[in-house]
Amino acid sequence: MALRMWASSTANALKLSSSTSKSHLLPAFSISRCFSSVLEGLKYATSHEWVKHDGSVATIGITDHAQDHLGEVVFVELPEEKSSVSKEKNFGAVESVKATSEILSPISGEVIEVNTKLTDSPGLINSSPYEDGWMIKVKPSNPAELETLMGSKEYTKFCEEEDAAH
Amino acid sequence: MDDVQEMRSPRTLHGGLEARHSSPSYTLGKRRTDHNLLIPEADLKGLGAELHYTQRGGDITFHGPHQAILYPIISLRSIGIGARNYVETLERSMLEFASVYGVKARAGHKGETGVWVGDRKIGAIGVRISSGITSHGLAFNIDPDLKYFEHIVPCGIADKEVTSLRRETDDMLLPSEEVIHEQLVSCLAKAFSYDDVVWKEDPSFILDNQEEYKD
Repeated sequence: MALRMWASSTANALKLSSSTSKSHLLPAFSISRCFSSVLEGLKYATSHEWVKHDGSVATIGITDHAQDHLGEVVFVELPEEKSSVSKEKNFGAVESVKATSEILSPISGEVIEVNTKLTDSPGLINSSPYEDGWMIKVKPSNPAELETLMGSKEYTKFCEEEDAAH
Repeated sequence: MDDVQEMRSPRTLHGGLEARHSSPSYTLGKRRTDHNLLIPEADLKGLGAELHYTQRGGDITFHGPHQAILYPIISLRSIGIGARNYVETLERSMLEFASVYGVKARAGHKGETGVWVGDRKIGAIGVRISSGITSHGLAFNIDPDLKYFEHIVPCGIADKEVTSLRRETDDMLLPSEEVIHEQLVSCLAKAFSYDDVVWKEDPSFILDNQEEYKD
């Protein structure tokens, strides 16, 4: 099996200024990104998952920004009830447009409920990322972890910076 | 670790290109849609083919000699795009490449990711994104034995043919596969707005990242 590697480097091609190459990736405006919704009262991870903490239960899903960047979700892989999740570790995956993306848990704990509706209706993640598209409910093992997550204003700024940086 | 550092920097994109000279194989994605393999698994040996389960997105496909299989290993965050945009860029790379040979290809309609010439599929995509880093990638049919595709429902899309650059360019004399590979990678680099391409023969870096491919 012949295997070759390639690497491609750029001089200034990725800067936002007008370049002669047709840069479809960097439009002058990006209206959809500006309008991604961020809900008050939730906590957010830099990997674009959200957590809603209600007493001893934390509900987890992915944000509007995340589902927009993924495209239409066709398949969701979730853990089983009673399994455990760990902060910043992968707990499942979503597939869209032939790309499987891992989802990371913002907190550690035990999975007490899984959204089984997502098996037949994975598109709920796109249409209702903060409500019907919730993924798992967890009993947090270390509530202090919630303090390390971002609030809505911080997360909004984080998304803007991430999208603008290129 | 230096390699990882370099990978996360937007100044350089790395990737591998595999020109399979052996082991024709059928591969499945994370959804394990093996109902789209139309012959019993036991019969594969007789065809000289293997079956592999992978963690990529997408349905069943075939990989064999005279196909160009490209797998960029990119930190999507470092170039500021998401999964959908990445897949669209891979599609664009293949469209651009096809046009070099005067082949008018198009990206797939909704739910039919990949690159098509009319209703015939010439390029396929299946990607995995783990910790924001891409693996697997695309496969472009240069001149594979298309009969292998008869044993599957390619990519889970029934009633559509599979084609190749050879088939779509009729009498045209194609250059060597090495030249074709270089052109394809150049098209990919251009689609991601990168300039130069450097080739290395040392596969060890890429093989470390492709561990999961050996299921």
